[in-house]
Amino acid sequence: MRLADLLDFAWQVLRGSVSRTLLILLAMGIGVAAVVMVTALGEGARLYVANQFGSLGSNLVIVLPGRSETSGAMPGILIGKTPRDLTLEDALALKRSHAIRRFAPLIIGAGDVQAGARSRETPVLGSTSELMDIRHMEMAQGKFLPPGDPRHSQPVCVVGSKVASELFGSRPALGEWVRIGDRRFRVIGIMAKQGQSMGSNTDEIVIVPLAAAQALFNTESLFRILVEAKSREQIPYAQADVEEIIRLRHEGERDITVITQDAVLATFDRILNALTLTVGSIAAISLGVAGILIMNVMLIAVTQRRREIGLLKALGATGGQIRLVFFTEALLLALGGAAAGLVVGELGRNFAVQMYPEIPFQAPWWALIAAPATAIITAVLFTVAPARRAAKLDPVQALSRR
Amino acid sequence: MIRLSGIARTFLVGGEAVHALRAVDLSITPGEYLSIMGPSGSGKSTLLNIIGLLDRPDAGTYELDERNVTALSDNELARVRREKIGFVFQFFHLVPRLTALQNIELPMVLAGIDPAERKSRLARLLAEYGLEDRAGHRPDQLSGGQCQRVAIARAMSMGPTVILADEPTGNLDRHTGQEVLAVLERVHENGGTLVIVTHDPEIGGRAQRRLRMLDGAVVADEKG
Repeated sequence: MRLADLLDFAWQVLRGSVSRTLLILLAMGIGVAAVVMVTALGEGARLYVANQFGSLGSNLVIVLPGRSETSGAMPGILIGKTPRDLTLEDALALKRSHAIRRFAPLIIGAGDVQAGARSRETPVLGSTSELMDIRHMEMAQGKFLPPGDPRHSQPVCVVGSKVASELFGSRPALGEWVRIGDRRFRVIGIMAKQGQSMGSNTDEIVIVPLAAAQALFNTESLFRILVEAKSREQIPYAQADVEEIIRLRHEGERDITVITQDAVLATFDRILNALTLTVGSIAAISLGVAGILIMNVMLIAVTQRRREIGLLKALGATGGQIRLVFFTEALLLALGGAAAGLVVGELGRNFAVQMYPEIPFQAPWWALIAAPATAIITAVLFTVAPARRAAKLDPVQALSRR
Repeated sequence: MIRLSGIARTFLVGGEAVHALRAVDLSITPGEYLSIMGPSGSGKSTLLNIIGLLDRPDAGTYELDERNVTALSDNELARVRREKIGFVFQFFHLVPRLTALQNIELPMVLAGIDPAERKSRLARLLAEYGLEDRAGHRPDQLSGGQCQRVAIARAMSMGPTVILADEPTGNLDRHTGQEVLAVLERVHENGGTLVIVTHDPEIGGRAQRRLRMLDGAVVADEKG
């Protein structure tokens, strides 16, 4: 039997029972579309998280004072305690590392910010000019903190856009004075709207020079040091350098915690990938159900078309040809269903993108291959039994008058 | 040349052995016109199915054109059936979703014959059986006589040497039956072997050689 004839024969069968064909196509299509859309959702979430981390800064190494360890005889004493403060001198010592491009020490506290009669309680951040580049901040107006020796400070501050509008309304804030605690600061810059980014909202903070924050909160102890490695490859070296430099300064005590952005991102990546794979597999179950549907329909077809099968045998068809006819039919259904599913899945993805433009919905390449492949494989596998039954049919009985 | 010797076929019906054929010996020479008659259950259809290689005997040997076909595999049997044997059934057995033309084409499709060759054969067959203006019609748009003519054209499409007809007029009125019989007899006139199974003595009587069967055995074999 020629391939073209085989396809034509199967096509005639499918066209002969339109509703049956459409129902199977629907089942197959829903399965494939579900896999495509669900994995697009998962992959979109993964990329979204990755982007959010990226917006924190690139090649970031974060240094925290204290070391949380659960080992030791009396962990209760060690946990949460900071044996030695992380100081500005510790941060400045990091300059020695060749793997580090720049760093920004950070002090954080809450302050009462006043401008004229208005006052507002906001988080106040003390840092240096490097913070802007490390955190990829953008200015709406004015300038960021001026560079210079972090031990000394000028009475200037940078405010978030929301703080500016709340304190000054529609009046220009640039060049105005605000009072934080018992100190006065001139507003030299207003940050561009960035919105929420991994829990910190730069729209609602005030940034002052580090030395000013030290005096304001009366502390020498740093909250964090943000370190930017020279490149992605340099991150492990930067991390090792930080640990070593500060260990030496802290009399050999490893009393800091160093987190790399990569490590955190990799963890999220793993979790979200596993999630995508899981929900994708659950969606793939519907493909299995569609396969069973195909088997059921094929088994019915073998019973309904007993005479036809018997006739084909009488006309000289071999068992193999009969099997081939059924497999071709199943394959056409699977291909049609897979194609329809991919189209519907893509439409659904486009719809999701329009609804939530900030999330990059994109079905991963493996899902675009796996979903149609699963559809085709299940269709063929579930046709094995019906096709064998058809091929084994006794032509005399199949053609008998009864 | 068909040569059956000691052919036996037993069916199990409800745990009881039914001897449909008991040691049948039969030779049919090429070009013969043979009718097989007998009451129902006498084994005439079983004999026809065995000659047509649709059924296998439990004992005995069957030689078709000097070749022992009892020992062939299923696939080889299908090939022999396709090339040498044409079947005509009482209930026509046309595929309902296919047109008359497609039904006639079916054996050639299964044999993988070149489409151009198929086309020329189809044109000849449609003309020969007077079906030119019915080629695009489906079986439910055809009369019984037309259906059986389509079935005969289909049986002839591979140029078989033997045509086996099981009650070919059983589902037709008398007049149409006569017409169809005349079409079948043309096969014989053109030199083919024609075997007709029937229980109608009037139809069976038209054959040059008339077999009568009873209880799985040939009880009479008349010629002339």
